[in-house]
Amino acid sequence: MEEVNAYIESGILELYVLGQLTVQEQQEVEEMAVRYPEVKQEIAAIELAMEQYALQNSIEPSAELKDQIMNRLSDNETIVTATAEIEQVIKPTPVVPIQQHNEYEAKIRILRFALAACVAMLVVSAIALYSAHNELGQAKTEILALNLDKQKFASTTSYLTEENTDLRKIADMADDPDWKVVKLAGTKMDPAAKMVVYWHTSGQHVMVDNSKMALPANDQSHQYQLWALVNGKPVDLGVFDVKSDTTQILLAMKEIAGAQAFAVTLEKRGGSVSPTMDQMIVMGGV
Amino acid sequence: MATTKKISLSEEELVGALKNRHTIAVQALYDMYSAALLGVISRIVQPIELAEDLLQETFIKIWNSGESYDASKGRLFTWMMNIARNLAIDKLRSKDFKNSNKNQDIENNVDFIDAQKEISFNADTLGIKDMVTALKPEFTSVLDMVYFKGYTHVEAAEELNLPLGTVKTRIRMAIMELRKNFN
Repeated sequence: MEEVNAYIESGILELYVLGQLTVQEQQEVEEMAVRYPEVKQEIAAIELAMEQYALQNSIEPSAELKDQIMNRLSDNETIVTATAEIEQVIKPTPVVPIQQHNEYEAKIRILRFALAACVAMLVVSAIALYSAHNELGQAKTEILALNLDKQKFASTTSYLTEENTDLRKIADMADDPDWKVVKLAGTKMDPAAKMVVYWHTSGQHVMVDNSKMALPANDQSHQYQLWALVNGKPVDLGVFDVKSDTTQILLAMKEIAGAQAFAVTLEKRGGSVSPTMDQMIVMGGV
Repeated sequence: MATTKKISLSEEELVGALKNRHTIAVQALYDMYSAALLGVISRIVQPIELAEDLLQETFIKIWNSGESYDASKGRLFTWMMNIARNLAIDKLRSKDFKNSNKNQDIENNVDFIDAQKEISFNADTLGIKDMVTALKPEFTSVLDMVYFKGYTHVEAAEELNLPLGTVKTRIRMAIMELRKNFN
């Protein structure tokens, strides 16, 4: 025991910690430390004291030194004995900062999350786009349908306006004594046939009233032709068609100044120069 | 990309990480001990740029020879400190270091002379002065010569014209004093 104390007191353990011993002396101390726990404890206490002393005498290195060191470590660990001289020579070439491994891994992890989030957003966007596309299709169909309706209404309105204009004209005729209403009755060719012609004596207008017409529909190669009898001679007032779906009420014909009677014959399409008498279907005097 | 967060690990974790070659070990060792190691290196060699280069070499060596560290023979810091001190002393005694000191240009001379005369003030060590003066100077000066200046205890004995036994005793007394102060 006294031997151990003397060993400790000798100061060799301090020199051991300070790295002042030869390899042989070091081994001696290490053997003693294994054999005597007091020696081991003493060494530990000296080490702690020197550690504290060094910490108290710290000098903070410049901020960029750590990154330089970490970069050199990640430079694939090739440096074993590079000296400070070599380091100084190559210093002007800036060390390309390579990410520290764990920092790198953390980044990859973040990027992985970002990728997952991107994929999720892509899926959501695709679904949203698909449903939006569907709704757009429906909206387009609806717009088409509404357009069609609108056109229908427009045509109905214009038809009604036209019809209204014609009806008003007919109603106004009653107030104008110059308007003559000439009723044409069926001949022996078709006794059931009949029609009405309005004739304005001073204005010379002639109109055919489709709403009050009862003539058989003509075919593609024939047309009805209206004639005025002026002093016994037939004067051409134009041709017209009779169709089952005619919308127009009043049909303006050629003008005539004076007439005693009106008649209609069935002629070839485009009309004839003179009426074909056996094809006269209606006739009526003024 | 400076990692501002300081890493601190237990000694076992540090040794395990170092032996398994995880760079986090070096990061942690750097955060915990770089200033202490630079404190020793920069007292052995100047200027500070050179001391920092040596500190860098120290960490590279710690990284490359982590496997040779034996925890049963001493603390990790002691091992690191000896690596740092040996690199610094090797530098101090190398031919090119001596030559470069002879050929210092004028602007470096001021710092160099300051360093030699120890009159530069370092904020990091101002607090220590108080503690060191609390020790008897004849004791601390021997320890400081060996621990901070790169003298061997034999050289210190010659320098101070003291018997080797006295040098050993003074070193031991100085460390005992430190232990009292730190515990």
